[in-house]
Amino acid sequence: MDSLVISSLRQRPTRTLISVLGVALGVILVALNTGLVEGMLNDRLRREQGVGAEIEFARQSSGGWSPSSVMSLDTRYDDPLKQIAGVKTVSPVGRHVQSGNSGLGFEVVEGIDFPSYAEMSGLQIIEGRVFQADDEVIIDQFKAQHNKLSVGSEIQVFGKTLKVAGIYAPEIGSRIKLSLDALQNYLAAPNKCSTILIKVDDPARQEEIQQQIAAKLPGNHVILRRNLNLGMSNSIPGIKGFVRAVLGLSVVVSTLVILLAMYTTITERTREIGIMKSLGAPKSYIIGVIEREALAISAIGVVLGFVVSLLAAWAIERATTLQLEFQWSWLLTAALLGLAGGALGALYPAIRAANQDPVKALAYE
Amino acid sequence: MTYRIGKVDVNALRGVNLAVPPGEFISIMGPSGCGKSTLLHILGGLLQPSAGRVLVDGEDLAAMGDAARTDMRRRKIGFVFQRFNLFPALTAEGNLNVAERIHGDGAQKMTSEERREVLRLLKLENKMHHKPLELSGGEQQRVAIARAIVNRPAIILADEPTGNLDSENSAIVLEMLQKLNQEFKQTIVMITHNPEAAAIANRTVEMRDGMIINQGSRA
Ligand SMILES: Nc1ncnc2c1ncn2[C@@H]1O[C@H](COP(=O)(O)OP(=O)(O)O)[C@@H](O)[C@H]1O
Ligand SMILES: [Mg+2]
Repeated sequence: MDSLVISSLRQRPTRTLISVLGVALGVILVALNTGLVEGMLNDRLRREQGVGAEIEFARQSSGGWSPSSVMSLDTRYDDPLKQIAGVKTVSPVGRHVQSGNSGLGFEVVEGIDFPSYAEMSGLQIIEGRVFQADDEVIIDQFKAQHNKLSVGSEIQVFGKTLKVAGIYAPEIGSRIKLSLDALQNYLAAPNKCSTILIKVDDPARQEEIQQQIAAKLPGNHVILRRNLNLGMSNSIPGIKGFVRAVLGLSVVVSTLVILLAMYTTITERTREIGIMKSLGAPKSYIIGVIEREALAISAIGVVLGFVVSLLAAWAIERATTLQLEFQWSWLLTAALLGLAGGALGALYPAIRAANQDPVKALAYE
Repeated sequence: MTYRIGKVDVNALRGVNLAVPPGEFISIMGPSGCGKSTLLHILGGLLQPSAGRVLVDGEDLAAMGDAARTDMRRRKIGFVFQRFNLFPALTAEGNLNVAERIHGDGAQKMTSEERREVLRLLKLENKMHHKPLELSGGEQQRVAIARAIVNRPAIILADEPTGNLDSENSAIVLEMLQKLNQEFKQTIVMITHNPEAAAIANRTVEMRDGMIINQGSRA
């Protein structure tokens, strides 16, 4: 191992620790944010796929997936849809998005037509009963456990206090559901919904039926729900920009932290640099010593960042209904950004060190 | 050699003409400020002279770029300073290892036997795991000499190597330099204020006001 690098790390424990923390912070930023985005999308996708509909009928290209979606589809489309051969069940759904109850992320509330939705999905009430009034909702078991809710509990929706009438299983669609009528009333949108879910008799014929629907009811968007995963990350507005901003921020953080850390040590080490030069060390050698030190700091920061991210993910999942999913590709990205930021930050101090005048450096006190 | 401080030129060396044949041990004496260190730095390629030629093994340092001078220094020159200039965070062993690593060229490297012999001569065998602060000045200077010679440089440039040492340690250092010169045929240029130290050299060059006033004669 490189003793000049190791001795410098050990000789300046505070500087080493602080710069390790800085790099770790950048890594944590990337790991947690991508973990949240992936977790949110995948969790949502799994629950949507459990609904049992093959086709979705909507006005917007995003199929009502956008959290900002408004209820703009007329529920009376369900009659002509039912008429189409091969369609088994039709169920209009309204979606409303509110910020998450813990202040983190957001939460979808669905207004459903219970009989058709239950028929399509096999949804069952396992405790209490279905909603009967506008101020009643049903929630899934996960929500009940995490938010410590039970039948009769109060719950905040639309900034209003509603009541939990029942708990349902399995976990499909949104975790809070109320009647579509109630949602229409709250949003002052009579006879409107966000999307109409369609279950077909024979899933093998879903494409054919999709085309028939599109032909009979032109001007709308008819999507196969098995392709939802493709559309989802595109449909949440700004998600890609957000992830990109997080990646950029992470590089900036590690670059600046390492830049500052190495820059201050360069002055301290002027004499040492002079000694290296007197021994005939070329510039590349001096740059290499500084860069290796920065990379060592960054590598420790990356490891620390991963450990803290795992712990934080565990805590977030316990405290909220948010789900995190770490993907290798994102963790690798976070690690590479941390190392790249470190290498980049050390470059300027390293070049300055390498260009010092040897005689002056040797005379430095 | 002219230093420029703001708008004032300081002529640290003027018209110095010095030839040191291979294997010679010369000492340079002269009052402080007369340009001895400047001359040594130029000889080692740490400084670029403002005019003139500096031939080392027929190569003109004055005509070289910084990288080439650094490379020449790496291959051919070992420096010993009055202030020892060891890496303070590394052990004696670590200091030697860094010098070897910078040198990089395996062919010139001492064998472990030769290295042991040098450490024995310098009475350093039991000190190799100590850091500079745990060593006396004499020991530090001996480590610095060991570091300067692990790569067997053809030329050793020593700037007042005994300037900070007591007479006992001075004797060890001087004896070592003499041995290096006699046994390994290393060329040595040593600056000193001490006439006794200067006496072990083959000849003594005297400087004053940036000029050589006496080339000395071989003893
Ligand atoms: N970096 C420098 N800039 C300007 N003047 C310098 C510099 N280094 C040395 N000098 C001047 O050059 C002269 C010779 O210095 P030096 O070679 O260190 O003398 P010596 O080693 O003989 O005591 C002195 O007048 C000194 O002040
Ligand atoms: Mg001097």
